[in-house]
Amino acid sequence: MSRHRILVLMTTVVVAACVSFAARGAASSNEGKETDLYSPSRLADGTPDFRGIWQARTTAYVNIEGHPAEKGLAAAKSIIVDPPEGKIPYLADALKQRAGNYENRTSADPASNCFQAGVPRATYLPTPFQIVQSVGNLAIVYTDNHAYRIVLPSGIPHDDGIDFFMGDSRGHWEGNTLVIDVTDLGDQTWLDAAGNYHSDQLHVVERYTLLGPDTMKYEATMEDPMVYAKPWSVRLLLYRDKRPGARIIEDECLEGADGLWHHISPFDAKAVIHHDYKAELEAAQKNP
Amino acid sequence: MRKWPISSAVLAFVLFPIRLAIGQTSGTSASATTDAKAAGIPRLADGHPDLQGLWHNDSGYQAAMKNIRGATNLAVALGDFHGAGFPLPLPYLPIAEKVKDYRNLHDPYHDPEAHCHVPGVPREIEQPTSLFPFQIIQDEKNVVLLFEYTHDVRIIPEDGSSHPKHYWTWDGDSRGHWEGDTFVVDVANFNGRTWLDMEANFVDENEHVVERYTMVDPNAIEYSATVEDPTVFTRPWTLHLTLKRNPAKEQIVYYDCHEGERDVQHYTRSEGNKGNKHE
Repeated sequence: MSRHRILVLMTTVVVAACVSFAARGAASSNEGKETDLYSPSRLADGTPDFRGIWQARTTAYVNIEGHPAEKGLAAAKSIIVDPPEGKIPYLADALKQRAGNYENRTSADPASNCFQAGVPRATYLPTPFQIVQSVGNLAIVYTDNHAYRIVLPSGIPHDDGIDFFMGDSRGHWEGNTLVIDVTDLGDQTWLDAAGNYHSDQLHVVERYTLLGPDTMKYEATMEDPMVYAKPWSVRLLLYRDKRPGARIIEDECLEGADGLWHHISPFDAKAVIHHDYKAELEAAQKNP
Repeated sequence: MRKWPISSAVLAFVLFPIRLAIGQTSGTSASATTDAKAAGIPRLADGHPDLQGLWHNDSGYQAAMKNIRGATNLAVALGDFHGAGFPLPLPYLPIAEKVKDYRNLHDPYHDPEAHCHVPGVPREIEQPTSLFPFQIIQDEKNVVLLFEYTHDVRIIPEDGSSHPKHYWTWDGDSRGHWEGDTFVVDVANFNGRTWLDMEANFVDENEHVVERYTMVDPNAIEYSATVEDPTVFTRPWTLHLTLKRNPAKEQIVYYDCHEGERDVQHYTRSEGNKGNKHE
């Protein structure tokens, strides 16, 4: 392996530049002040402190557009604020695709196979996520399938020519709002359990703003010219888990005898293997 | 060493050159000094060593380099440095050793990593080829380990709390504290499903690990994991690794494993265990 080839591979695959997140937060702290109703506590470098365990309390995980209850599906309220009618502005063909997804949702939903949820779906799942933050670093760790996103500073270009289930996140501060630009999302994630979807051209801009010590506003704008006629936006609230010592739990999926993958609970004693090595060896000898 | 599945070997071949440069750009030798203050290691405002950054298993990397020179088969060479830092042979109870040998011969299919499960402790740190680094984010309350491989995460609190009851996991439950400049992590609450490597070395639900992370210079952490498991081993044993800092320009590249996974097809499944997918 020549040194030259090593360098070429390094340049193409590993993306460069670790600009200080902190410096950017300080530089842009004068923007958007009129919308900052609450002044959050801050890290040593002045960036708002978003650390903690957060969870949505919406029905959006069922259907982001909302719908009346029906068999096997609870009623849901739309979290879409733009357009005002609360519906995704699908292109005509995409609407047909969505209808097909809905028909086959039980088996076709990628989440039913324990795939990572993607963005923005991971935010409003019925399981919490934790924001991990230190001066210069921010990551979002989701309970669901232990997916995580490392939010690199906006000065670092997005990775090119590669898709990730949780996308590629770049963040900066506008006043007290964390703005994350997400690209490199694939076409194998959905927006909810009702078949609302996107293509691999999806571009998401998220905005996280603390409204009080324990409440955070989440806004996201979705743009995808393959599927939507125009960009559209959702808004919802996230609530802090205030229980002392609260932690997010390990969420692993296990393939069942039916060939499907199932979340198993770390609180399920039946999921623990209590080994009997003598019996295992005897069985092995009988059935070599 | 024989059971590197084809696609993993191919993946390793593609990715290996990326990490090859690591050894050339890492800092001074870890053995240069153990006096943390003299070495000028970075510290957080709370005075503890600042462990943050991207790290990889350099002991595994060095073993790989030694092994890869003169190798005629890259895939075999990549597999063969597995075990760097382990006090081999591990002190198995006789019956557990038989189980290990049987599984190694007949059931490599049941390696949990082949099914995209998180590796457990200490396997996640030991990742043999050093292809997959991990990132540490640290504040005064938690040390967070974000592993590239299978997007495995451990959030380790330093609040003096104890392990929960009625909670069982692949990665265990981690509680950390500082002993001087060493971050010590007690890991328990395992679910009995974890292997230590692809050779079927294993631990069970009685595993208990004490990890020690000591930054010896700004670019090196001495890592040890003392593993005890009274139903598998006759006595505790300790894994020693040197972790080296990745170059500043590198970042975690997300590793989506389970989604569309096909690797497990390259493993052979024991005839006697068909239909029993995991146990």
